[in-house]
Amino acid sequence: MTLQVCIMTPDRIFWNDQADEIILPTNTGQMGVLTNHAPLITALDIGVTLIRSNSNWNPVALMGGFALVKQNQVTILVNEAESAQTIGVDEAEIAFQEAKTKLEQSQGEKQRVEATFVFKRARARYQVVKQL
Amino acid sequence: MQALSCKKALGSVQAFTARPQTSVKRANLQVVAVSIKEVRVRIGSVSNTKKITEAMKLVAAAKVRRAQEAVVNGRPFAENLVKVLYGVNQRLRVEDVDSPLVAQRPVKSVALVVVTGDRGLCGGYNNFVIKKTEARAKELEGMGINVRLICVGRKGGVYFRRRPQYNIESTFEVGQQPTIKEAQAIADDIFADFVSQEVDKVELIYTKFVSLISGSPVIQTLLPLSPSGEVCDINGNCVDAAEDEVFKLTTREGQLVVESEQVRTATDDFDAGLIFEQDPVQIVDALLPLYLNASLLRSLQEALASELAARMNAMSNASDNAGELKKSLSRIMNRKRQARITTELSEIVAGASSV
Repeated sequence: MTLQVCIMTPDRIFWNDQADEIILPTNTGQMGVLTNHAPLITALDIGVTLIRSNSNWNPVALMGGFALVKQNQVTILVNEAESAQTIGVDEAEIAFQEAKTKLEQSQGEKQRVEATFVFKRARARYQVVKQL
Repeated sequence: MQALSCKKALGSVQAFTARPQTSVKRANLQVVAVSIKEVRVRIGSVSNTKKITEAMKLVAAAKVRRAQEAVVNGRPFAENLVKVLYGVNQRLRVEDVDSPLVAQRPVKSVALVVVTGDRGLCGGYNNFVIKKTEARAKELEGMGINVRLICVGRKGGVYFRRRPQYNIESTFEVGQQPTIKEAQAIADDIFADFVSQEVDKVELIYTKFVSLISGSPVIQTLLPLSPSGEVCDINGNCVDAAEDEVFKLTTREGQLVVESEQVRTATDDFDAGLIFEQDPVQIVDALLPLYLNASLLRSLQEALASELAARMNAMSNASDNAGELKKSLSRIMNRKRQARITTELSEIVAGASSV
């Protein structure tokens, strides 16, 4: 028995494949889901999810959303998702450092909110390529 | 061919007729000849224009198909989101939801997101949206409310930038197809504005894709959201999130038409045993930004489809006009040509008979 993982973004279905295990970056910490998990709904923070098939771990950066687990079907709806193939290592690292400095230098509520978003996203993308 | 032989004949006639007559005839001939050539050149350019406008119409028609596909691709996301939103809403009371995105405040400042196209040649499309925006801005300022503009699409940006009485916060360009990245950028901007309380309401002005012929700009309230995901326009008319209208460009009796069908998403209750990893309120908090993104993307896609339909219409009209112009120009040219031939013949006859 395996899990059927379906990741959807507003413009397309990003990932629809079988997996043995998935680790979700929820708002309240990392959470692992194996087969036959009880039905569950959880909000997802901007971070990296790890999907395991046999012993291969696939990292995917998720930009916030939620996940619904029901009868071995994991449905993940996120704003945006990126897998390792589309992220360049150097570019991700540079973007991460830039976002970090910008967040530290931001002033005012609005700037801080925007900078936090950008930072979290850059960090998620950087974590995906750093794993490899 | 005839023209050349006439000229030769005239040349021989020249030798026989008096000088003043010759020069008058020559002047006459030259005026007529230049005019015909000009008309011919004009006909050539008009028929080129017609080819271009026909091609633009076909390109726009092909792009509408792509825009349709984009809307269809986005439906699984929207359906699942609505299902979960309904299910979660049943587990909590409306008063409990305290996401920053549903906060209703007394309105002192409004952000208007204006969706226009990047290019012209689409009839009245851009103009209608711009006029509607100006009217709305005037209305709001008359009520003492501060207005700031977020322009999506180059045409709107260029127009409002030239008018200093409008406060433009930011401009975005959409490009060939609205992607999730662009929708996210715009959503981030209005999210930050709203959450930091710099604006109290965000309205979206875009053109709904109604039919190939008409497209009417509507004003929709983007923020504050309603916890159940209802989509409201400024007059307070709300549409259930589960009801959706999907449009389709098809052919009927050889004509391109737009068909739209109402689709209703099945919203059944959640399992009683469903574990909420976080509070239902927190989960709604995570769902609403998704909802904002998805509906913004959907509106951008519809606006693009409307723009393409308007361009198809405008180019089709332009092609028809070019065809008619070409016909009337050809008629003028032929008449001129025949008049010239008649003149030359009559001169030859006159010259021959005088000998």
